[in-house]
Amino acid sequence: KMTPPQEVEVKRQAAREVINILEEISALLARPSLPQHQLSLCVSLIENGVNPEALANVIKALRTQYPVPLDLEEESEG
Amino acid sequence: MSKTTEERVEHALTALLERLLPSYPDDEEEDADERFDTAFSFALESLRSAGDPPIASDINHASDLINKKFIRENTPGKAIRFSNLYSKLLTQPVLNQKWAMLYFLYQLSDSDTPPILTESGSALHERLQSHRTNGVIQPTSSPGLSPQHSNERQFIVNSPAFNEAFSNAGLLKLPKTEEEKREKVLPPERQEKPSERRNGAVMKEEDVAAPESPLEHVSGPMNPSEPALLRDLPFTLQGLTSINLAFTEKSSLVFPTTLPVPLISLLHTLVEPALLYRNLSQFVESSEGGLVGQSFRSALGIELRAYLGLVATLEGQIRRALAMLDDSQPRHGIGKAGVTLKRCVIWTRDATMGLRLMSAMVENSKGKKGGELISLIHSFSLSHGDPFVGGFAERLLSHVTRPFYDMLRQWIYDGELSDPYQEFFVLEHHERNDDEITNGENRKGGATSVWDEKYTLNKRMVPSIVTEEFSNKVFLIGKTLNFIRHSCGDAAWVVSYSKEASRELRYGDTAALERSIGEAYKTTMARLIHLMADKFKLFDHLQALKKYILLGAGDFIAVLMESLSSNLDRPANTQYRHTLTAQLEHAVRNSNAQFDSPDVLRRLDSRMLELSHGEIGWDVFTLEYKIDAPVDVIVTPYGTKQYLKVFNFLWRVKRVEFELGSTWRRCMTGCRGVLGSVEDKLGADWKRVRGGIAEMIHFVNQLQYYILFEVIEASWSDLQAAMRKPESTLDDLISAHAKYLNSITRKGLLGAGGAVDFTNQLHELLKIMLGYKEAVDGLYGASVAEFTRRQELAARVENRTAKGGWGITERDDENSDAGTPLSLKPSIKGGKGRGSTDSPFPLSAAALGFTEGGESEDLLLQGLRTRLSALNADFKARVNVLLGDLYHQPDADMRWLAMVMNFNDVYQPVRRKRGVKGRERERGSVRETPAVGKERGEEAAKAK
Repeated sequence: KMTPPQEVEVKRQAAREVINILEEISALLARPSLPQHQLSLCVSLIENGVNPEALANVIKALRTQYPVPLDLEEESEG
Repeated sequence: MSKTTEERVEHALTALLERLLPSYPDDEEEDADERFDTAFSFALESLRSAGDPPIASDINHASDLINKKFIRENTPGKAIRFSNLYSKLLTQPVLNQKWAMLYFLYQLSDSDTPPILTESGSALHERLQSHRTNGVIQPTSSPGLSPQHSNERQFIVNSPAFNEAFSNAGLLKLPKTEEEKREKVLPPERQEKPSERRNGAVMKEEDVAAPESPLEHVSGPMNPSEPALLRDLPFTLQGLTSINLAFTEKSSLVFPTTLPVPLISLLHTLVEPALLYRNLSQFVESSEGGLVGQSFRSALGIELRAYLGLVATLEGQIRRALAMLDDSQPRHGIGKAGVTLKRCVIWTRDATMGLRLMSAMVENSKGKKGGELISLIHSFSLSHGDPFVGGFAERLLSHVTRPFYDMLRQWIYDGELSDPYQEFFVLEHHERNDDEITNGENRKGGATSVWDEKYTLNKRMVPSIVTEEFSNKVFLIGKTLNFIRHSCGDAAWVVSYSKEASRELRYGDTAALERSIGEAYKTTMARLIHLMADKFKLFDHLQALKKYILLGAGDFIAVLMESLSSNLDRPANTQYRHTLTAQLEHAVRNSNAQFDSPDVLRRLDSRMLELSHGEIGWDVFTLEYKIDAPVDVIVTPYGTKQYLKVFNFLWRVKRVEFELGSTWRRCMTGCRGVLGSVEDKLGADWKRVRGGIAEMIHFVNQLQYYILFEVIEASWSDLQAAMRKPESTLDDLISAHAKYLNSITRKGLLGAGGAVDFTNQLHELLKIMLGYKEAVDGLYGASVAEFTRRQELAARVENRTAKGGWGITERDDENSDAGTPLSLKPSIKGGKGRGSTDSPFPLSAAALGFTEGGESEDLLLQGLRTRLSALNADFKARVNVLLGDLYHQPDADMRWLAMVMNFNDVYQPVRRKRGVKGRERERGSVRETPAVGKERGEEAAKAK
């Protein structure tokens, strides 16, 4: 019985919460961890029905193909 | 996916990629754009082609995976934190695809994940799979598994069945297609099919056809295709390299890298016979090893040819099937054509078993040859449970044993060994250098070495198809034939025998083989004995040996001794061979020996042994009987030596007997004449002497009787019995003869064994007896001298009486008392000291005549008396010791001898303890008659 803006706000908060959790999990699982923005994009992709395994492989493949130079990586981790 | 979702996906993807792709500072914008485009298209393509995730979205499963990962990494802290987060996540209402997110994150992490083994995977899956299963595959590795995770610390069971059963990689989602019903058939089948063992499960045609359409739908085209593989299969089965399946080095094969895993397992099964065949064909080509090895190879070659026949049939089938292929149908309709890889697996199964068996045999046969190889194959046919193996081995055996039977046949029918590779169980030795046989005793010269040492039986090489008894018989037969041919010079008979009796020997016909061997054995043995007896007169020679060397022919020996005795008394270096031979001839002519066959007499000869200083003829004389080959197989050189030893001993005993006998004769005849008149003076001595001589003669007689009759004759009859046995072989004869000689030497008191040395004792006794005889001769001489003196006195008295004077003057009295004529006084005085009491040299009557005189005579007599009594006492003592030893012998005959010698208990047997003899004599006997005791006491006193 919340008002739409309240609902949106709640949703956003929940989403943020979830993203945080996911980020922590990702940090536990793997280094380098996925930056937050990329993570949220991935979430939206998967919510839209993308095959998670395929997506992960894509990311891995791209990572190996185009390795991030060190200085840029430092920047993005911040 | 709907349009809006697609749009959203694209949009999100673009944004992601922008962030993901790093921007290199040096790049131009065009390159960056290009990169972006390629990446974008690649990503889009893969995402599109991936479709729906195959695994059911089970969030618990994802968390399990992640937990497992943590466990693997051994970081429990992380696990705890993760579970906290996980529980928090679950409470959040926002995220719909929780599982997908977690799975995504999990996939993104860097660790190795166990691959999902699915037939319906994406192309990416396949690429991943093939990446891992690439490389060289050995035929012995387990089929179709991904390589080991060497960096895993735990052991992970990673078989397809296991993974499917426990859904380690997640439960596979059923593909949503129309043929869903048929799909239901699929999973249970797939549960059965993948298994570690290569037992090609029976698959009917429908089953093969059914899953193919959905599979085709799901999987991409197989590369290379099954028809291509089938085309290559016949070549592969022959061990030839083909386009798709290439053989590297000797024993490995490379699969193309793009095959799905179950196909790889099929190919493993198919490739095994190919690799085995390659190895086997190489082995068959090689040509080392002996004859049996070569026949083994040829037998294997025949089997391999049968295998090639199978391959040819298979090839025909394949070709026909491939011609019928229909490209329109999925997988070229291969299932309906009737030939698939799976079918080939089943068709080659029997051949594979055979090839496996052959490889096992080849492996085991390395380093073996001849009989061992045959035993190996035979063991396969005997003790293996599988009838297939047994039958196979039997087939091989009849082939492989052919050279063996050839060698056997030649050996038992010709006596010749033709064994270029030493594969037979009879080994031939060639001429040995004399350096090898250094020990003179072990040297067996002449024919004996041919019989004993030329061939030996090598037990290791006896194949298990023949029994040990059989092999012994075979060995004996061949040896005998060889012996007959070479040593007996009867090659003609051997040739004729082999021509008429030789027949083909074959494996598998055991009864006939036994029969042939038995017949051959009997014939050859009989022939040999017959030869020995008739051509070489073995028995005659043995008889002659007994007669002459063992003093069996008494008359001959007596004559010989009489004629030789005076000769042999002289020193050894004055003996001449020709005199001895002349005496021998004389003896032969004057006795029954002249009726013996000239061959025997030819071999009889007299010889002189080596001289050493101070010996007389008696010590160096010996008779000899020459033995040639082949009789010397039985009468070995060692045996000849034993014969001579016995002869020597018997000859000595005979000599003593002869001497004592002649003395006795003289005494007896002299009694009536000479000795009677000196009875008053020397009567007591003569009584004692007569007793002593009688004792000694008794001893010698008993001894001689014992040896000649109890020992020699008894052993001879044993020997005759053994030799006349119907089934005797040459070995039997040899052993019987050896036994004969051994018992003679042992029982004849010549054996060197044991603590008791009879030989020495007997020699001592004989020496004493001879000494005694000489002393008696001395006494006789003294008596004769006395007698002549008295006669002279009587003659002088008569003369004087006739002249008219007194018969006996004072001078005569003086003479008789003092006993010395004036003329000879000074010499006597000087000669007083010359009363040699213990001189062993014979005192001849002539010498005594010169020293005629009362005093010296008395001294002489005294010396003689002492000597006689000493010898007598010594003799008695030694006889006691001997009897004591004899009584304690285990052999009954020797105890009999002791009993017979001492039949009236005149001797007291003494058991000699090791060591001190002197003490023994005083302590020894229990009963003592006074006379004996006194004498021994005297003797003991004198010894001190």
